[in-house]
Amino acid sequence: MIQESAAFTPQFGASAIARILWLIPAVPILASGVIALMKQPQRKPAATLAIGSLSFSLLLSLIAFGHVLAGWAHSAVVRETVNFAWFHFGRTSVDLGWVLDPLAAIMLVMVSFVGLLIFIYSVGYMAHDENYTRFFCFLSLFAGAMLGVVISNSILLLFMCWEIVGLTSYLLIGFWYQKPSAAAAAKKAFITTRFGDVFFLLGIVWLFAQTGTLLFYNHGVGSLEGLALANLLTQHAGLGLSAACAIGLLIFAGAAGKSGQLPLHVWLPDAMEGPTPVSALIHAATMVAAGVYLIARVYPLMQIGAGPNGSTTALTVVAWVGAATAVFAALIAVAQDDIKRILAYSTISQLGYMMAGLALGGVAVGMFHLITHAFFKALLFLGAGSVIHGCHEEQDIRKMGCLRVDMPFTFITYAIGMLALCGFPIFFSGFWSKDGILEAAHSWNISQVPFYLLAFGALLTAFYMTRQVCYVFFGYWRGHETAHESPGVMILPMVILAFFAMALGLIGTPAWPWLHAFLDNHAAPFSFHGFAEPGLGWLMLASSLIVFLGLGLGWKFYGDKSPEPEEPDVLEKSTPKVWAALRNRLYVDEFYGATVIAFYAWWARVADWLDRRVWGGIVAAVAWLFGLWARFNRLLDVEWVDGSFDKTCDELSSGGGLLARVQSGRVQDYLRILAVAVIVLAAILLWSSRP
Amino acid sequence: MNYINLFRSTLPETALEIAALLVLFVDLGFLRKAARATRIAVAAVLGIAGCLAALWAVSIAGPFSAGNDLLLSAGGSAGVAQVAVLALTALTLLLLIDSDFTRNPGEYVAVVLMAAAGGLLISAAQDLLVIFAGLELLSLSLYILTAFAKQSGKSAESAIKYYVFGAMSAAFLLFGFSYLYGLTGSTNLHEIALAAAVGRAASATPLLYIALVMVAVGLGFKVAAVPFHLWAPDTYEGAPAPAAAFIASVSKVASFALLVGIGTAFFHVFDNLHRGVLFVRFGFPTRYLGLLAPWELILTVLAVASMIFGNLAALAQSSVRRLLAYSAIAHAGYILLGLAFFSWTNVSAQAVLYYIVTHGLTTIGAFGVVGVVERAVGSDRLEAFLGLQKRNPLLAAVMLVLFLSLAGIPPLVGFWAKFNLFAAVLRTSGGALPFTLVALAVLFSAVSLYYYLQVLKRVYVMPATDESPITARPVTVAVLVLITAAVVVLGCFPALLQSWIASFYPHP
Repeated sequence: MIQESAAFTPQFGASAIARILWLIPAVPILASGVIALMKQPQRKPAATLAIGSLSFSLLLSLIAFGHVLAGWAHSAVVRETVNFAWFHFGRTSVDLGWVLDPLAAIMLVMVSFVGLLIFIYSVGYMAHDENYTRFFCFLSLFAGAMLGVVISNSILLLFMCWEIVGLTSYLLIGFWYQKPSAAAAAKKAFITTRFGDVFFLLGIVWLFAQTGTLLFYNHGVGSLEGLALANLLTQHAGLGLSAACAIGLLIFAGAAGKSGQLPLHVWLPDAMEGPTPVSALIHAATMVAAGVYLIARVYPLMQIGAGPNGSTTALTVVAWVGAATAVFAALIAVAQDDIKRILAYSTISQLGYMMAGLALGGVAVGMFHLITHAFFKALLFLGAGSVIHGCHEEQDIRKMGCLRVDMPFTFITYAIGMLALCGFPIFFSGFWSKDGILEAAHSWNISQVPFYLLAFGALLTAFYMTRQVCYVFFGYWRGHETAHESPGVMILPMVILAFFAMALGLIGTPAWPWLHAFLDNHAAPFSFHGFAEPGLGWLMLASSLIVFLGLGLGWKFYGDKSPEPEEPDVLEKSTPKVWAALRNRLYVDEFYGATVIAFYAWWARVADWLDRRVWGGIVAAVAWLFGLWARFNRLLDVEWVDGSFDKTCDELSSGGGLLARVQSGRVQDYLRILAVAVIVLAAILLWSSRP
Repeated sequence: MNYINLFRSTLPETALEIAALLVLFVDLGFLRKAARATRIAVAAVLGIAGCLAALWAVSIAGPFSAGNDLLLSAGGSAGVAQVAVLALTALTLLLLIDSDFTRNPGEYVAVVLMAAAGGLLISAAQDLLVIFAGLELLSLSLYILTAFAKQSGKSAESAIKYYVFGAMSAAFLLFGFSYLYGLTGSTNLHEIALAAAVGRAASATPLLYIALVMVAVGLGFKVAAVPFHLWAPDTYEGAPAPAAAFIASVSKVASFALLVGIGTAFFHVFDNLHRGVLFVRFGFPTRYLGLLAPWELILTVLAVASMIFGNLAALAQSSVRRLLAYSAIAHAGYILLGLAFFSWTNVSAQAVLYYIVTHGLTTIGAFGVVGVVERAVGSDRLEAFLGLQKRNPLLAAVMLVLFLSLAGIPPLVGFWAKFNLFAAVLRTSGGALPFTLVALAVLFSAVSLYYYLQVLKRVYVMPATDESPITARPVTVAVLVLITAAVVVLGCFPALLQSWIASFYPHP
């Protein structure tokens, strides 16, 4: 605790940029603190400060990225850590620290860049909200905490930032807290993710107990390095699992809560009650990807002890959950009418892809999809926000239509985002990242089922996105007032995002798998031989055909027709029962309502009954007994004791109670007490040392 | 110890004494006609310069050969306590700049510096005579400081009570010292402890115990431990605010440092007796080893009495100064617990030092706020703080942080102080007794939250009777903000102070 010196000890091997890496999260958090002190009308300074601080973070992130890139190009050290002891706890030290490696660097750039664009977009989107200042305060806090999650080298620091991120998510979902549905959605999000966090925390404690360190990387003695992993592998946790595997599963539970994996996905669609920039930033691009990032960060732990088939129990579970989520959410998305809800289910589905990609193909495969998805999904949400804005806060796609005429910029950028999400071949980033996942699933040697699930998911994705675009941008206008295009400050971020939604595919094609090489730290030669891998060509062809099939089916059902708002959907007419199930989100919420929530309500009623009847009865009985006893005593007192007692009382109260008697203010009394105290102390001492 | 070494080791005290004379010389020689504000400012600045010079002297004091004929020690607890005494003295002098209770600032500052010199002496003392001389220098100065508000009857009354009580306990202390010398033939703490453990004094147990009880009276008086605390509420209430802050912080730090020094000396005996200290600790029943067992018993009794009485009496107070006095008594109880279960490693010493340094800092801030409010409202009753949040939000915020820190709420520094101290107690000795006592201490910390919140409730929640703003002067505000920031920052980074304290010890 104290005797061990606890000085701040940066590793002086670390480069300058690694040493000041903490500024990246700290500056937005500081800005948020300053904005919190501002008054409601100080709108412009608040927005300027938030955007300025995040620009600073972006700048630092780019420098950090460049630094790592240079190190990678020279095959030098690519992982730098700066660790310090926060405080000591007996012999254990509680360490915090941050890490700069390719994974963190690329994530830093993505989060700060997308975040900055969405900040700028919010200036336009929130322009008429009276709590503009508060909005930027929360948004800044979120950005800082999210960047903190990214650079953490200590699982404790990561967890702290993780919780702040959860808090800001709660605050921003409930930003319009006057709406009861928003308040309920905020609570639902907080409680559901917290359910996963309980397991995450258990995993942290277990990891700490087994390895004795909170740090991921610490010159060979961190919890993700050889020694600790080997130790974790030899510990048995029951059910035939190693400790490493069990801890991995616990951490995955936390990640599943944050990233909306089955069965904890229920909060994410409701989270769309928040303002649209929040949905874009937090519930599409960054925070929900934090779970995926967490798994990528602890990948050595998930991977250790892989069997002959190249997978561990933990990774197998992740793969199955991811694949199931991908299809499950895509199915539901088909039957939704709220423009943001469709995107929300699409996000859940894509997060499933990412998880499956991580588990089946490794860090690079999952992270590639994470990065591309962040850009095109943020774009789609911003586009949706623009549509909602243009249609006077209307979110029902059946009441839109033909917006390609009124909102040409939104239409073009939205279409790019949609094609990227569907995985339209060659020109869009989503094609390359999704193809990587499908390829990994295809070569998984445990089961082929995830591959078919994911392929089916791809078909559904193309289908529901075509349906949405047809409803919104084609057909004829079914709303009331005319729609209008959004201001330039909203369009500009969308154009930039659209550019990246197309261009980002270049960093992960089979011909030049730069991202994979960067993350796995080996060189990336450019060659078209990458395409010549056996089976790859066929796979790409097949996935392209799937996409075309989805697009075609969507166009066939929805393309030229213009259903009235009240008219049932085309699919509803053919299969009403399936449609109803999908529309009601496969009754998951109802299921939870009937089981978990009903159980809690029942338990609360039982506890209430116990409190009122049983414990209350006991207390009442005791009180009654004491009352009886008191009455008896009173009788005794009045009859017997009063006389002598009154006399004593008079004496005491003349001094003004016991305390006042001690502190009489008369120094003579003080000295008397001192003398008595000496005698008593000496008596105690002599009595206790008697032979 | 030769005279060169003696001069080197008393260089900080010398610096303070020279500064005290200089202040008197300047104030009475040149500034008799000057405005009062100028005189106060000049005196305070000179005093602070003296403290800085003494700090410099402390920092260049080299290590000495640790013989048993040592008069003063350097490094370790002495080093930490001396730096703390000087820094806290400088802070209380800063609070003086904005006050107006005296027309003789030169004398006031000179007396403060002499008191600080006494504090430096007892922080490092290893010899009964040095201890007594240092204690008297400190105490006599404090009696004068208490009486310094000459227009106030309360000030004079509390000073005379303090003096009478203090003189009596000094008499007990001296009597106890004379017994110790008579029984062991030495005035050096190490020699005394050695003789009490193995020498002829070991057989004269009852007399030795009487001597220890007498010594405990003198030292219990200094740290305001129940039942030798009776002077404290009156003095805290009557003394002028900067003097009260000085008594509550600097004098406490020095006195507890003396107790740490005594505990350390008692333990070093075992180093001299046997190489394997652990063997001694666990090989024989500890209670028969010289002075340690009776000393621990006395401290335990004082600690328990202080915790219980201090906290309960604080509940009933309606004056914030008296409340702070009883709260200080309660804190003394916790610290005494750490001293009673003392460790042969540096764990306990460092935990106690952490506690007294941070507690002294927080107390100065608390008295600073009370002083400002008192001057504006004319009273230190709880009602005087009604609606402070509206009248001066900054003062209210300072009050919030400092009082919550005193109550031990994380992440403020008071939490870590308590945590370290209780952890040190539990690490030092196992068994039911320390565990029970720590549980008791934690329980009473919870009780203490009640009376701290009573004040904060008036500051923040209850409706104000008067909403006219209260202004504090800039220097005071600066000191208060500095202290508050330190309480927050040290609380968020507890390792800073821990490692600073550890840096005074040659080995962990």
